[in-house]
Amino acid sequence: MASLMWYIYDFARKAWADTFLNAKNEPEISQKPERFRDFPKVNKEYCIGCGACTVSCPSPNAIKLVRDEDTEEGEGSTYPVITPGSCIRCGFCAEVCPTEPKTLECGLNHLILPEFNIIPSKRQYLVDDYLCIKCKKCMKKCPVDAISEIDGKLVVDQLKCISCGECIEVCPVNGAMKAVFVENLQDQKDLILLCVNYLEDYINSKEEDLRSLEKNGLLQYDVPLSEIWDEALKIIPDEEIALEIITNAVNRLKIRVIDWDGENCKKCQLCIPDCPTGCISFDEEKDTIVREKDRCLRCSICYQTCPFSVIKYFIAKFSLDDGKNIHTTVKASNLNEDLFME
Amino acid sequence: MIVPIGPIHPALKEPIRLKLQTEGERVVKAELEYGYVHRGIEKIMEGKTWQKAIYLSERVCGICSYEHTQTFAETIEQISDVDVPLRAQFLRVITNELDRIQSHLLGNSTFFKSMDHETLFMRVLEMREYAMDSIELLTGNRVNMGWNVVGGVRMDADERHFEPILKNLEIIENEFERTRALFAEGPALALRCKGIGVMTKKEAIKGRAVGPIGRASGIKEDYRVGHYTYDDHFDFKVIRRTEGDNYARTLTRFDEIPESISLIRQAIENIPEGEVRTPVDLKSGYAMRQNEAPRGEVTYMIETNGPLIKNISIRTPSIANMDSCAKYMIRDVPTVADAVATYATSDPCVACAERVAITNEAGKTTIKYLDEVI
Amino acid sequence: MLDAIKDVVRKSSIHVCIVNCGGCNGCDVECVALLSPRYDLEQFGIYVHNNPREADVLLLTGAVTEQWKDNLKRIYDKAPEPKIAVAVGNCPISGDVFAQEGGHVNAPASNFIPVAAEIPGCPPRPNEILEAILAVGPQAIADRGREQK
Repeated sequence: MASLMWYIYDFARKAWADTFLNAKNEPEISQKPERFRDFPKVNKEYCIGCGACTVSCPSPNAIKLVRDEDTEEGEGSTYPVITPGSCIRCGFCAEVCPTEPKTLECGLNHLILPEFNIIPSKRQYLVDDYLCIKCKKCMKKCPVDAISEIDGKLVVDQLKCISCGECIEVCPVNGAMKAVFVENLQDQKDLILLCVNYLEDYINSKEEDLRSLEKNGLLQYDVPLSEIWDEALKIIPDEEIALEIITNAVNRLKIRVIDWDGENCKKCQLCIPDCPTGCISFDEEKDTIVREKDRCLRCSICYQTCPFSVIKYFIAKFSLDDGKNIHTTVKASNLNEDLFME
Repeated sequence: MIVPIGPIHPALKEPIRLKLQTEGERVVKAELEYGYVHRGIEKIMEGKTWQKAIYLSERVCGICSYEHTQTFAETIEQISDVDVPLRAQFLRVITNELDRIQSHLLGNSTFFKSMDHETLFMRVLEMREYAMDSIELLTGNRVNMGWNVVGGVRMDADERHFEPILKNLEIIENEFERTRALFAEGPALALRCKGIGVMTKKEAIKGRAVGPIGRASGIKEDYRVGHYTYDDHFDFKVIRRTEGDNYARTLTRFDEIPESISLIRQAIENIPEGEVRTPVDLKSGYAMRQNEAPRGEVTYMIETNGPLIKNISIRTPSIANMDSCAKYMIRDVPTVADAVATYATSDPCVACAERVAITNEAGKTTIKYLDEVI
Repeated sequence: MLDAIKDVVRKSSIHVCIVNCGGCNGCDVECVALLSPRYDLEQFGIYVHNNPREADVLLLTGAVTEQWKDNLKRIYDKAPEPKIAVAVGNCPISGDVFAQEGGHVNAPASNFIPVAAEIPGCPPRPNEILEAILAVGPQAIADRGREQK
């Protein structure tokens, strides 16, 4: 009875009508606080394609790096794509993203200091399948059983690898087991390019020696590393890493040099149509044959074509042992004779 | 007659099968059947760096997810001999206690729901929302916070965060007095709580009951007492009761909330300046650490090999509590409804409990994974 | 005409059953938080029963563990038509962090039963769940009711 009276009273008050009509949730329930970590926001234009986000992500399939198709304007851009169905919104990808400004943003940006790095080791251990002789010494030596044979190839499981370096010590083939630096790949490329350009310019500057070189003769130089060392440290500040990258690059480097004496040239122009890239042209005003160095492939076709043996072709090899001087050996090519023999 | 309940049932929130043996109305025996949510987290963690594993440890249990990450981080810190900055330790205390408040409120609200007391259920849940707000404000997420890292916490906090938290705590405190009185002094509720599901101190020790469930039976055990941050910088009282029935368990959880609130206030008042994270040089080794999660003692045993986890074993409080609930609490309960309510007071968390331990004939316990067992 | 009336009725009264098929509890807790006065699920005519026999919507959480491989289909069959299943959280969608080497999960749940809607997040906020159920649920139930004819 009492409840009935209450209902009648409430009905008569008509207050229910207002509350009934205004019944909706207060806005506070959908408000997200400042720090709320939503699905990461991707700023495509800053991405450098380093893959730090995919490596760090604790959830499989959450982040994928995709690359757009190349268009006429330029290369397609690389950027991460987040799958909401797998993303756990931890914001770890935003934490490790190295670009400035950030490619990935997730809530409030976290502490980002270089010492809190996700990858515990600077190096990644890889087997070069081309050089590997499958002796499996590394497999036996590995303390954590990180190396296994899959489809006839030795593969290092990166999650198990603890970067102890014992596999490199036991490997009988020089270079079959590699410890590559996984960070700053672009910087490494820049460093190698700097090194190669410097060596090539150095050899080209010895024009006199090259032209007077006998057929079976050798030219030997000791190129001091100190000249590019400061510039190299600007690209990669860590001395140890920089030296190792330069050593590895230089020891395997082979530079081919094409050179000819403009005065001896008979201007027959036979080399011009044979050049696959069209980098050789005839300058009518100055009456000389010009080679654009930047487009040249060093394929030696012009050297083989030249009927007067004016164009010369050299192969330079390098070694860097002591960390100070790059020992350079330049040798003239014997390609022409080989062709004549046949 | 055996009454099976679950795995999906109106009375249960989580998948577990509860088999009740009845004699007339009375329930005389209960048995629990696990295995519905075993996911193999420990196995996934093996061979991963801590940066990935800490997010997995968070997902052992979604209700007390915070304490798992803290224990995980502290274990790795113990292996690597790292001292966490004091400011980070205080921030950990704040989050830990907020997590405890929301977990206790949720546990109690589930109990009220299972007793069909909608008013208290709604009130307690509403109080819990303020604790959840504080957690979200501070850490950026409501449930899986991603707040701990080895060597500290991820983000710093300042007045902008502390002030709303204090405000929310005040709201909880105001509501709390009335809600607790409603429960403690309500005659109808007391009839259904007092003297039901009694577990004596001896049985609690025998059943390895931990946390509020053990403390309601008289066990004096709180792993916050031995913890370095709590011991050096905080004052708090360990709540203990002796009755060991549903009433005592619910009230123990209620009474721990003001203690947690006062701990948060102390932390915010005395928080020192400084860094919140320190770089860690990871070492190989083995360590074991125990911490007080909302439901009791959580233990992490980790063996690392450099930066990678070689072996990990997790002991969660729920398995002991649920087991002692089935063995000792539901032994002589008037009705099936009371048996379900008794089960709810043990604050079950099935996702926690799904760790596999097998005892062989020699009585030596070995941890195995489900796929090796079947 | 009858269909129209049925649609209206179905849209304003949705009975929900939460099926935890092997998750961490986080999503279940957020579903329980929806019952609190702040979100007040029942003002939208949604009632959480946890009983598959009278459910219109099955809220799936969790990554389908070994025990649930057969039982999930059985639970789904027990619910009366028209019914829909909504995947809450990442686990039933993709398996989340558990879908790795060493984990015992059989995600996604759509391999076992048809899933009408997905709510990503780990776990999703309560208002995200609410918005998703209200956006998808009533229409999906109405559509499924017509399909049965």
